[in-house]
Amino acid sequence: MRYLLLSLLMVISLPVSSLAGYREEFEREFLSKPWAGEQVEEDACIACHVAEKMDPKFKNIPQSWRMSIHYQHNVSCHDCHGGDPKDAEMSMSRQRGFVGTPKYAEVPEFCGKCHVGILRNYLESGHGKALKSTGKGPNCVTCHGSHKEEEYIKKANIDIINERLCSKCHSYERAKIMKQALFLTEKKMGELEEGFGRLKAEGVYVEEEEKGLFNIQAEFRTLFHTVDVSLVKDRTDEFAKKLEPIETKVKNTLRELRFRKNFSAFIMLLFAGMGIVVFILSKPPRE
Amino acid sequence: MGVGRKIRDWFDVRIGLDEFTRVQFREFRVPGNCNVFHTLGLVTVIAYMIQVITGILLLVYYVPHPDFAFKSVQEIMNTVSFGWLLRQVHVVGSSLMVIVVFLHMASVFFMGGYRKPREMTWVVGGLMFLITLVFCLSGYLLPWTQLSYWATTVVTSIPTAFPYIGDFISRVLRGGDYVTGITLGRFFALHVSILPPLFLFLMVLHIFFVKRTGLSTPPCGLSSEPQNPWTEYRRETHPDGYPFYPYFFRKEIFMGMLYLTVMFFFITFFPMLFLPEEANTPADPLRTPSQIRPEWYFLVPYQMLKLVPNKFIGITLLIALVAVFLSWPFLDTKKEPNILKRPVLKAVFFLILILLAVLTLWGHYR
Amino acid sequence: MKRRNFLKVLLGLLGSATMVTFAYPLVKFLAPPEGESKTRKLVVKKSELPMGEAKGFTFNNVPVIVINRPDKGFIALSKVCTHLGCLVTYEKAKKILLCPCHAGIYDIEGNVVSGPPPKPLQKFPVRVEGENVVIG
Repeated sequence: MRYLLLSLLMVISLPVSSLAGYREEFEREFLSKPWAGEQVEEDACIACHVAEKMDPKFKNIPQSWRMSIHYQHNVSCHDCHGGDPKDAEMSMSRQRGFVGTPKYAEVPEFCGKCHVGILRNYLESGHGKALKSTGKGPNCVTCHGSHKEEEYIKKANIDIINERLCSKCHSYERAKIMKQALFLTEKKMGELEEGFGRLKAEGVYVEEEEKGLFNIQAEFRTLFHTVDVSLVKDRTDEFAKKLEPIETKVKNTLRELRFRKNFSAFIMLLFAGMGIVVFILSKPPRE
Repeated sequence: MGVGRKIRDWFDVRIGLDEFTRVQFREFRVPGNCNVFHTLGLVTVIAYMIQVITGILLLVYYVPHPDFAFKSVQEIMNTVSFGWLLRQVHVVGSSLMVIVVFLHMASVFFMGGYRKPREMTWVVGGLMFLITLVFCLSGYLLPWTQLSYWATTVVTSIPTAFPYIGDFISRVLRGGDYVTGITLGRFFALHVSILPPLFLFLMVLHIFFVKRTGLSTPPCGLSSEPQNPWTEYRRETHPDGYPFYPYFFRKEIFMGMLYLTVMFFFITFFPMLFLPEEANTPADPLRTPSQIRPEWYFLVPYQMLKLVPNKFIGITLLIALVAVFLSWPFLDTKKEPNILKRPVLKAVFFLILILLAVLTLWGHYR
Repeated sequence: MKRRNFLKVLLGLLGSATMVTFAYPLVKFLAPPEGESKTRKLVVKKSELPMGEAKGFTFNNVPVIVINRPDKGFIALSKVCTHLGCLVTYEKAKKILLCPCHAGIYDIEGNVVSGPPPKPLQKFPVRVEGENVVIG
């Protein structure tokens, strides 16, 4: 009986397996999808810039980009520099919007294509006015770096305000006062981010709260770009207050998680206790 | 007379309660060398009942539409009182149920409980195992998370390996070419209203077969004479065994308690074991997470398909193995009931267990 | 025998403790939620919103913007950008909503025109009752 069944299986599978057409379909549907583990990168910009023949000063760019915050958010070459990343011939074509490397004084508008709010505040600030009227002054790259040599663009943080950078043109005094004004609020925001990380590790979905925090952070940091010390000092408190409801929420959620753990531990002990009692009771009594 | 006695008498006069309990529980005997593995059947029933009850309660707040599914599950976890408890029990319970069903199957196999006259019991049980896996597959999509969406995409693409009908099967499963709200609707209907009655029916059938034929005697510890050949129906009553109540019943309750303790152990100390980060992010059809794997109980077929060089042979092999598994009582014709005296089968059994463990770990850690 | 009786009593106690531990959450789970069900409504005077103008309000803790669209009447959209959460601003001349953080642009229906936002802005139901515009 079993031999009959086994041989039937083999007989059916042989001719059917000789049909090859579906195999491509299966490979297409199943194996070459990104989640099958084979990633396909089609970026023409990267392909040339990592090639052996490339000029060394351009060769470092993809590596530096990969360390940056832009890479983490899927912002790649053409999003800032234009051009067509899928077609090597048109990758640096003006027709496809390629702008190349921006000149020193045009950097703010280059970055401001996306970072609109910051550009606005910068242009109204002392730094922006200096750059526009004299051609000298800090642009975005001065403080935030770019993908040149060993630099890469990091996520904005308060330590970009430091003596080395700020005293290139004037004394560090004003910058120091501003940094102190920003410091506490930045610290609180960092703690909140950490709190979110902990909540996420425990399975709580915090996207709404994260969005609220991001909005406050963005407003706060945009404010800094006015480099107006008195304005920043005045409004720091306002921001600290805005953070309070988020703080309370995080604290309450952590407390709730602790309660859940204790509650389920209690139930576990109840069941374990009952199991032990039943086990002892289940032994046949000595006759 | 005590109140309890009065109530029992009221029922006894109408349905013969005393005689029923006497015959079914006190005089019903289990074989003398019965061991703890015999209790796994009832543990499976307990596991299933827990899933049904928590599932029905979760149904009160869950919304099966892609725009609201994720949010409703988050509300269950965070807003509704003790919703987290029900969801955690349901999630942990689903994985534990697969384990328990598997253990039950393996121990029945090991003790030869599938042999004549119990072939139908085995086949029905095998079908129940497959239905449990379909339960897990359909239920997994319902929270509509990144993990659900993409794992379902992977698993519903597997049938495309079949010629001609493969594509059709995939499209029917998904309700289209991609996983969408239509898929959610189908899987929800399957999970909530098609599979439960089917499973219940098979369970009743399975228990009926078990009771009608009588509990099988594990061959361990008995003399090695082959059993008397079955030529006409008789029911094994084990006159030398223990009465079911209270001895075996208490053993079963103990195993039930153990199951629940293990479940709450996971809920207390490893609540996120079955809910990694992608299971807490809403589904985004435009963004594939970097590491997509099916849930652990599907890692064996998944890994196998990745290993076998020709994918069609891979799928055929899987189907063949399932067919062999379901029809095993008809393929096993040796007379010796004790597996310990059949070195080939014993070796194959342990090899298969090791292979399953290896494939699962490999699929997980790749 | 005494020990067995003790064990049976203990089992009864543990069993009832377990039942209570599950009955309480079950009751609370099925009980209707307290308070949250009343949705407050936001009432705005039509006169505050001439044609083409927009104004920001807070509705149920969500910052919203109510626009008086030139041909299609009033619409209430959440100001929270669906990208990372910054608040969008209304550019009357170009009839768009612009997010200052990463230049996400929405049209006045709330749909994404360009930029990183993945989804359209959340809409809220709007009714016109006489002199008032009611949101929610």
